[in-house]
Amino acid sequence: MAPARTIAEQLASKQREISVAEFFERNRQILGFDNPQRALLTTVKEAVDNSLDAAEEAGVLPELMVEIAKEADSPDRLRVAVTDNGPGILRREVPNVFARLLYGSRFHSNRQARGQQGIGISAAVLYAALTTARPARITTKVEEEDAAHVLELLIDTQKNAPRVIREDVQIWDRPHGTRIELALKAKYIRGRQSPLEYLRGTAIVNPHARIVLVEPDGTRVTFERAASEMPRIPKETPPHPYGLELGELGYFLKASKRPTVLELLTRDFEGVSPRAAKDVLARAGLSPGATPGSIQGPTQEALLEALHSVPLVAPSSECLSPIGPMLIKRGLRNVLGDVRPEFFAPPVSRPPKVRGGFPFLVEVGLVYGGGLPADQPMQLLRFANRVPLLFQQGACAITAAASNLDWRRYGLEQKGGNGLPVGPVLVLVHVASTKIPFTSEAKEALAEDPDLDKELTLAFQAAARHLKVHISRRSRRSFAQEKFEIIQKILPRLAEKTSHLVDQPIPDLTPVITRIMDVVSLELQLTNEEGPRRAVLEVTNYTSRPRVLEIFLEAPTEILGASAFAPVPEGTDVGMGRAWWTLPKLGPNERAQIVLTFSKGTDVEASDLDWYVAGVDEAHLLGADPLPGDWDVRLPRALIEAAETAAPTDPDSAEGEVDYDAAESEAHVGDDDG
Amino acid sequence: MPRKAKRTSATTTDEPKIRADALRPTLDLARQIYGQLSLGEIPRMRLPLRTKQNIAFQMREGVWRLGKTMGTRSARKLDGALMLLRTFYLVDFINEMARDNKTSTLRELYYISEGWQEGKFHSEDESNLLVEDLEVLCERLREDFRLHPEENGASVIGDLTIRERNRKGLVKKINCRDDVGDGGYALPSNVEKEKIEFVSSGAKFIVAIECGGMVDRLAENGFDERHRALLIHLKGQPARSTRRFLKRLNEELHLPVVVFTDGDPWSFRIFASVAYGAIKTAHISQYLATPSAEFLGVTASDIENYELPSDRLTDQDVRALQAELTDPRFSTADWRSEIDLMLKNGKKAEQQSLAKYGLNYVTDHYLPEKLTEMGVL
Repeated sequence: MAPARTIAEQLASKQREISVAEFFERNRQILGFDNPQRALLTTVKEAVDNSLDAAEEAGVLPELMVEIAKEADSPDRLRVAVTDNGPGILRREVPNVFARLLYGSRFHSNRQARGQQGIGISAAVLYAALTTARPARITTKVEEEDAAHVLELLIDTQKNAPRVIREDVQIWDRPHGTRIELALKAKYIRGRQSPLEYLRGTAIVNPHARIVLVEPDGTRVTFERAASEMPRIPKETPPHPYGLELGELGYFLKASKRPTVLELLTRDFEGVSPRAAKDVLARAGLSPGATPGSIQGPTQEALLEALHSVPLVAPSSECLSPIGPMLIKRGLRNVLGDVRPEFFAPPVSRPPKVRGGFPFLVEVGLVYGGGLPADQPMQLLRFANRVPLLFQQGACAITAAASNLDWRRYGLEQKGGNGLPVGPVLVLVHVASTKIPFTSEAKEALAEDPDLDKELTLAFQAAARHLKVHISRRSRRSFAQEKFEIIQKILPRLAEKTSHLVDQPIPDLTPVITRIMDVVSLELQLTNEEGPRRAVLEVTNYTSRPRVLEIFLEAPTEILGASAFAPVPEGTDVGMGRAWWTLPKLGPNERAQIVLTFSKGTDVEASDLDWYVAGVDEAHLLGADPLPGDWDVRLPRALIEAAETAAPTDPDSAEGEVDYDAAESEAHVGDDDG
Repeated sequence: MPRKAKRTSATTTDEPKIRADALRPTLDLARQIYGQLSLGEIPRMRLPLRTKQNIAFQMREGVWRLGKTMGTRSARKLDGALMLLRTFYLVDFINEMARDNKTSTLRELYYISEGWQEGKFHSEDESNLLVEDLEVLCERLREDFRLHPEENGASVIGDLTIRERNRKGLVKKINCRDDVGDGGYALPSNVEKEKIEFVSSGAKFIVAIECGGMVDRLAENGFDERHRALLIHLKGQPARSTRRFLKRLNEELHLPVVVFTDGDPWSFRIFASVAYGAIKTAHISQYLATPSAEFLGVTASDIENYELPSDRLTDQDVRALQAELTDPRFSTADWRSEIDLMLKNGKKAEQQSLAKYGLNYVTDHYLPEKLTEMGVL
């Protein structure tokens, strides 16, 4: 079932029987104009989606300005203006683009795009006219012309035809671009399902765009551009028979100028080899030389059935435009900067898969900690073809897949192992497809589907595995923090206090400190202040014996290549992304540093730098992992021995002793006095 | 009413030997930790656990005291390290008070810890627990550390004559019926012999009562005079001084003690701390508990027999009763059947519910019936 096209076509065929105003009134809800808040959001969304598509098609980095202002003396009206730096629209196309429903360039194209049906922006124009009786004002300039065309448009609701109210030519101080201004009955809100939320989401998945919002009270919110590469422009591909429906096949057969059906199948469809085409025709009982126009009625059905049953080459994914791991991370970091998340999981971009006849792919970005609320359910940012989905979260296949995963296995709280987990975690999900399986024409939620669900689950799992590693490292760190607090704050005071009471000098605490810690600790500090970015690794031997330690660093090649090291590494292999050092012998409680200085503009997170240590076994290592065996590094004999002989366990750490301060608590309840 | 049956006071069996050199053990503790630090050992102390699993019945004293299970407080863990540090801030503080001849209250101690940096207490519970820990470790009482509770103990109404040495050192002779107002004689926090001496008493027995309203009801109805009873207001969970005072009266004047409380799980615990010793102060039970004290009511069967107005047990009540079933102090057959009955009926009742039958019912019918049944009257 492919409702997008068939319903649209049904609607188109009935246009002469019902007026567009009637059509609009009947479909207010699915078109997204059912209340004043919603109408504003939909208007902004349709204009912004069009602007982004247009700029990308022209190969221009999008620059958008969204202005929302109060209308002087009507409190329930707002004025919305969206200006872009797209290629502009030819004068003759303007009336149809903005003031005729079901008119668009992408309706029949088989590639990923934000808008598809060509209803959106004209619906906004119609809504504006119906609620304020004011025309839409379009300013547009193409690069080849010297001046901009300014048109004021209304829709003739009887004929579904544009009416140009006024027209003018004026000088515009930009080489090309389009501006649409509408006055409409609307209400401005902030928070969930608001224009601000929509633009924030848009900025995350479109880091190549710069978006400015001016709110009715004059507040200006800017989402700066975080990436200067354009997304890959998806290639338009011929339709694949797997997604084909009977009506469409009939259309192709009728319109085709190919002499034979064999040629039609191999040239105008994707994935049909001559050999497969022959199989198909044989199965349908058709001669390869038949003319396309001669195939009608039941033979059409036979042909379609044969096309769906013969194995064909899968649809190509060149028509898709994933955001990609690097830009997902940049977009999230750019927009969530004020939340200061402590962890960005490496984003997951799944390879394309096919559903029906349409290729699709799933991307997931995951962010944890920092200012994200720890006692709330996971925040889910859903996107379809780079468009934020703000409504119907509960009814969406993305939510279902996230809820069905057992996040407890990855260190999050989740009641009974289903439902959205609770924790300081935000997950971005992007589904790209030439045909997004929306639950309804309102395009608010994705319909559940086994193939989609499988890809979503795999992507969630991949991101969650990184989260699990992070959470377990973090809990080791908090255990370590407790110990640091003991040795740095409490123990010195205890020594001072008891020495004072017994009137003796304060003893050397080194042996006690190493006994309490009993680890080699690696602490990394990233500094991002004035001047170049630095990472300082401090290695402290909190064990009771001297140690020779070898430190290994693994990091992305582009980071290692942009780093200066002090001291100079004993060896580096930038191609493999590795560098290593042998530290001078560290006695108990002694420390050494390794400083990395990154050249300007290098993007570094603590999670980009993986540290490994040889010379101490895993149980006595904090802030790093032991050197993995597959590094194939030849270690000095002494180091191997040191790592293999586990340190003797502390005699008084014997288990079986009851911790007095943990055992006591239950006794106090309502039992006693003062 | 003439005073008669003067009883002479007897000596308590197990009165701790204190005062002289009271603070030496605190410095021994400091020496112990200093020694561990010098040897490079992780500082630690061993203390008997004060949990309901670690109390044991002492045949000789007839009370529940601390058992032999020890726990370790070690600087290896943050909580342990903090409590060790606090211990020595506390030791320093009480030694300083001794030098300056000052005393302080538990509540003041909590505020004094504001200046202890990392060692600052987070709640008054923490400071109270630490003082008890120090009592256990040093085998001393908090009075030896010059620390007193903020609130004084209960009030006493009835024919008891005592001699109290007041703050100014003057000795006053007071009869707790004739020389006091309606509020009765208020117990000071120190009720030891050097502070309070028993002169004489015309009472035959003691009724220890949970709520002030019931004490007033009995006094207004003249119950104490009619039945020659000494009324002691427990004020909920009785303070140490109240329990100590009850024990002294019981031992020195040979007065039987009955405990009259609400009929709910929390009241059972009030009785247990009077008769058996509280878990938190199990290290000094021999000094605070009155093993011969008896529970008068309101019992679960009273609620049925007297058809008292009752409330449903809350979830919290039910949990408290279930916890009592695993508390060794309640492991007798009588208590088990009482707790089981309350759980089965799911009802609790206040002392005041007896007023259903009129204001005189409790003194004219309920108490005489119960006391006769118990053999006190």
